[in-house]
Amino acid sequence: MSPAPVNPMHPEPVRVVIVEDHALLREGLVALLSENGIDVVATAEDGPGLLRIVAGHKPDLAICDVRLPPTFTDEGIKAAIEARSRQPSLALLVLSQYVEPAYSEELLASGESGVGYMLKERVSEVRTFVDAVRRVAAGGTALDREVVSSLVRERHRGGQGTTIDSLTPRERETLELIAQGRTNAAIARELVVSLGAVEKHISNIFGKLDLPATDDDHRRVLAVLAYLRAAG
Amino acid sequence: MPAVSDRGKPLLGRAASGPPAALATLLLVIWALTGAGYFWPMWAWFGLGLPLSLVAASRWVRRLPEARNRGLVTQVVACFAVLVVADVLIWIMSGAGYFWPVWPALVLVMLLGLWRVFVRPREHQLEVRVDELTRTRAGVVDVQAAELRRIERDLHDGAQARLVALSMQIGRAEERLAGKGADPADLELLRQARREATAAISELRDLARGISPPVLADRGLQAAVQSLADRSGPNVKFHGELEQRPPPALENAAYFVAAEALTNAIKHAPGVQVQITIWHEHSQLGVVVADGGPGGADPAGSGLTGLRKRVEALDGWFEVASPAGGGTTIRATLPSE
Repeated sequence: MSPAPVNPMHPEPVRVVIVEDHALLREGLVALLSENGIDVVATAEDGPGLLRIVAGHKPDLAICDVRLPPTFTDEGIKAAIEARSRQPSLALLVLSQYVEPAYSEELLASGESGVGYMLKERVSEVRTFVDAVRRVAAGGTALDREVVSSLVRERHRGGQGTTIDSLTPRERETLELIAQGRTNAAIARELVVSLGAVEKHISNIFGKLDLPATDDDHRRVLAVLAYLRAAG
Repeated sequence: MPAVSDRGKPLLGRAASGPPAALATLLLVIWALTGAGYFWPMWAWFGLGLPLSLVAASRWVRRLPEARNRGLVTQVVACFAVLVVADVLIWIMSGAGYFWPVWPALVLVMLLGLWRVFVRPREHQLEVRVDELTRTRAGVVDVQAAELRRIERDLHDGAQARLVALSMQIGRAEERLAGKGADPADLELLRQARREATAAISELRDLARGISPPVLADRGLQAAVQSLADRSGPNVKFHGELEQRPPPALENAAYFVAAEALTNAIKHAPGVQVQITIWHEHSQLGVVVADGGPGGADPAGSGLTGLRKRVEALDGWFEVASPAGGGTTIRATLPSE
């Protein structure tokens, strides 16, 4: 691994807290992030622990699990949203073994700062995961492809003749990657095309869906997500 | 069951007792006008009174508190009592000679005795057995629902979590070796191993979802069905306000009715409007899934039969209405006590 690249938005290393009750996963995450130049300042095992370490360390980003002790239901989501209401600049990255569209809605609606919601196994794609961590810490979005594809499917099922049908398959793939929060460069890498081709797809998509063109990555994600989440 | 509000009301309403009373008065007048000889109206009064007494006795029994009421048997005993009194009245009216009513009374008492000795013990056994079966079946169903949720949790915290940790370790190893300029063939092996682990995680997740959807366990029936509707597109509408969570067995059954009915509707009539409704009141949990599709669903099909069995195992009631061209409505009602 090359020396950790420093994010231009964060001249200092990204400061992260991790909340995960499973020791093996918690230790693994700490090691993985540390190896990639991300500063894990504290860890906890439950919701109250999350609130405590966020208050104590004022991190840039909290990475947390959904099911936590004592009830093992959705306290991770509740605690994360509570922590953010206390520290609005806190970015959240929720990792879970299943994705639930309702939870992604709640997270996206919980504030303006960065939000991520991904399946835990995405952690094994180390480079993509570390990118997502940095992106979310810098105020961006990282949604799991399962969440995005369910949003697109839902839009698509709305019936024939919706604008999403007018997209070519490649454009729809690009749309999904934008909604996941990827940058142009990451999209080009994923689709194995040139940066110019990606830019052309994106301008076509924004034209067809009648979305305002923007160079700001974060605003672009929000525009696409707002489009996908709009009813009907 | 006796309705509490009945208590205090007269056993016979004015509609039932009015006309006979009028008739009795008329006969009395006729008797007086025709010379007031032998008092024959008593026989007519007796004839009018007997059916009324039987009705009144039966109503009285129905209003008894449950602990003292054995249903049909108590009714029969009450009617016997009325008949014995009637015999005594006949005996008085016909001149009170030899006290013959003792014989019919004896026969009635003997009949009751026979019932008590031969029929009642068997009935009692059956009642006990039915009570026991109802209780143990409910127990088995509850245990099964709890067990399914435990299996889902165990998968989540056990095998799934370990596989996630494994895939993370493989990913880290891959990164380290790539940083040291390892042989691409070695790296490819690791990549394959990581993909296998990811595929296993994904299969386990689907399996767990089929056993008990995580959001159902985490947030309950209302949130789970809401999520189901949200995931199915804008044509699927959900309506339901549950004030509290029903027991797990009912939540599971109601969820699978909604999920299966919705899957059917979308499969057979894509893009059609579907309305899912859930309610919980008067100790009953109800699910209704109505679509505006072509109808003509086969209630004996395997999917619907499976749902029917699931609902009936909880003493519930399951109905499919699917006239050709008239949409399909699936209803399940589950007792929640």
